[in-house]
Amino acid sequence: MRTITFKDALNEALHQEMARDDRVFVLGEDVARMGGDFGVTMGLLRKFGPDRVKDTPLSEAAILGVANGAAFCGLRPVAEIMFADFLTECYDQLVNNSAKAHYMFAGKVKCPIVVRTATGAGFRAAYHHSQNVEAWFMNVPGLTIVAPSTPYDAKGLLVGAIRDDNPILFLEHKMLYGTSGEVPEELYALPIGRAEVKRPGADVTIVASMKMVHHSLAVADELDREEEISCEVLDLRTLIPFDKETILESVARTGRVVLVNEAPKTGSLNAELAATIIEEAFDALKAPVQRVNALDCPVGFAPAIEDYVVPRPEDVARAVRAVVDY
Amino acid sequence: MTVPKEQLLDFYRKMVLVRRFEETVEEYSKKGYVPGFIHLGVGQEAAQVGAMASFQEGDYVLPDHRSHGVCLMVGTPVTEVLAEIFGKTTGCNKGRGGSMHIADFARGNVGNNAIQGSTLVTACGLAVASQIRRTGAVTFIFFGDGTVGRGEFHESLNLAGVWKLPIVYVLVNNGYAISTRATDAHPLEDLAEMGCAYNIPGVTVDGNDVEAVCAAVGEAAERARRGEGATIVELKTYRWQGHFSGDPASYRPEEEVRAWKERCPLKATRKKLIDRKWATAEEIAAIDAAVEKEIQEAVQFAVDSPTPTEKDAVAHVYVGREVAGK
Ligand SMILES: Cc1ncc(C[n+]2csc(CCOP(=O)(O)OP(=O)(O)O)c2C)c(N)n1
Ligand SMILES: [Mg+2]
Repeated sequence: MRTITFKDALNEALHQEMARDDRVFVLGEDVARMGGDFGVTMGLLRKFGPDRVKDTPLSEAAILGVANGAAFCGLRPVAEIMFADFLTECYDQLVNNSAKAHYMFAGKVKCPIVVRTATGAGFRAAYHHSQNVEAWFMNVPGLTIVAPSTPYDAKGLLVGAIRDDNPILFLEHKMLYGTSGEVPEELYALPIGRAEVKRPGADVTIVASMKMVHHSLAVADELDREEEISCEVLDLRTLIPFDKETILESVARTGRVVLVNEAPKTGSLNAELAATIIEEAFDALKAPVQRVNALDCPVGFAPAIEDYVVPRPEDVARAVRAVVDY
Repeated sequence: MTVPKEQLLDFYRKMVLVRRFEETVEEYSKKGYVPGFIHLGVGQEAAQVGAMASFQEGDYVLPDHRSHGVCLMVGTPVTEVLAEIFGKTTGCNKGRGGSMHIADFARGNVGNNAIQGSTLVTACGLAVASQIRRTGAVTFIFFGDGTVGRGEFHESLNLAGVWKLPIVYVLVNNGYAISTRATDAHPLEDLAEMGCAYNIPGVTVDGNDVEAVCAAVGEAAERARRGEGATIVELKTYRWQGHFSGDPASYRPEEEVRAWKERCPLKATRKKLIDRKWATAEEIAAIDAAVEKEIQEAVQFAVDSPTPTEKDAVAHVYVGREVAGK
């Protein structure tokens, strides 16, 4: 099969889904003429024209407002917020409007928007361009959070997200845009809300997403080779609502859990996963659940600080050994 | 308007300093000395130097992401600003801020927030504090044409209008927000006119004419000091390079770039000095050489300085409360 980058897979998803469904349109800062800060919307303006591919002013609240309004009357907007950190500037629209409209108006309106945004550390871009923001949005019923880790998933999940009738926050880890993988040329959609077993294993369940999936797979391979520890790696793919069944099924077999997430530990996705596992699979556990997160501090500017603050492969390995040696 | 000879010579020296500083940052960024991405102000020296001529001890300034020159004009040593951009512990924020977060509180530089527009409302707080304390201080806030699109711009103007806040809005209109033309993002050619909605006077001047900039900002600062409230001073200029160092800026016509380079603020000032017989070619060359020496010393200082380490990662998260490291 053909190999393309994560970024190109997203681009292809937009091209193909916009061709299939003329209700889909794209808006955001620099998405049209420039093709997006990371190049994800390249070529759309030429193909679909300025009505369906809109450069906006530097106005995040208005971008989300337009997306919401257009969605309420039947269109399917895909809004780009250049960096996830800027979601603070349209938090109200997303949290108080997109997420609640369907509920508040008794199911009479839908808000089928996708908000694409670049998230994550590793870019040396410091405090306001490096954050992992999913926890800011986890406590918002009505909002779905999708976060692919491979080009194949990026394409299929973006199409799935556009077709979904709910507002979806679609997180693209900026360090993954350049990664490559096999992606079918034809249009396909992947289901929202389904995790994937990336690597089967017997001793430890590692639950991760986005870039942390790659850290986890590397650690799993190494520990298998060097220390005969067999790790099962789950890629959540949808963070909220997460795929409880797949996680609990794996934990029932392994009894040992390591949760890996790039955001600060306190109040993170890992906290919610851990609570769920303890509530529903307590008897299966052979060791305390281990969380591997960023430290409870901002992502710093200095490279030494940035690299230290976020989870490193050795942090994942240490946590795996801890649950095995318990 | 004509400034005295000594002042024009001083402006020229400062503009050369800013120009050479930016070129040096770019050179060392390409060599791998500068973490993250940087936004250069080459071409905008007259706006930065001319506006900061009215900045006095006790005043406040909020630079934006393209404001290395503004940070230098505050009086922070060149060595400390460069070391900060290099991410070194000898930088004015100990290498924790980098290019986008240069601050010097002792000298009135309150620092940038890389979320465009945020500082516009922070400016109101600085201005209110100086009203409460009756210090007569003026707050200078630098921001671009693109940032006019943010809601904070309008909230800030509204508040400054009704509370007569001592703020000078230095609107650096370089025609673009990344790839988006100011004329595509805003319904007015002269953005200073937006002030009239908030009863705030606005003036638009040639931002490449350092004397015109100095005069317009000077008048606005005096108005603020007299307690008559805020003014928008729009400085029409151009950034010679891409949005960030490395952006090919293919969204701009080449003739446009060429035409603006013809209007180089340094060249224009040199011509004034010669035409008015205020300096000879030799005297100008001596100024250039002195600046060059200062720049090279700063480079040496920055290169030789140490970087922060992992141990520094969890410092300063809270005041008086510790955060655990790894
Ligand atoms: C809230 C927010 N949205 C978007 C960005 C990304 N961004 C950084 S600078 C910039 C353009 C700013 O344009 P302008 O205000 O004209 O300043 P210039 O870069 O031209 O100096 C954009 C869109 C950001 N940093 N913050
Ligand atoms: Mg601009």
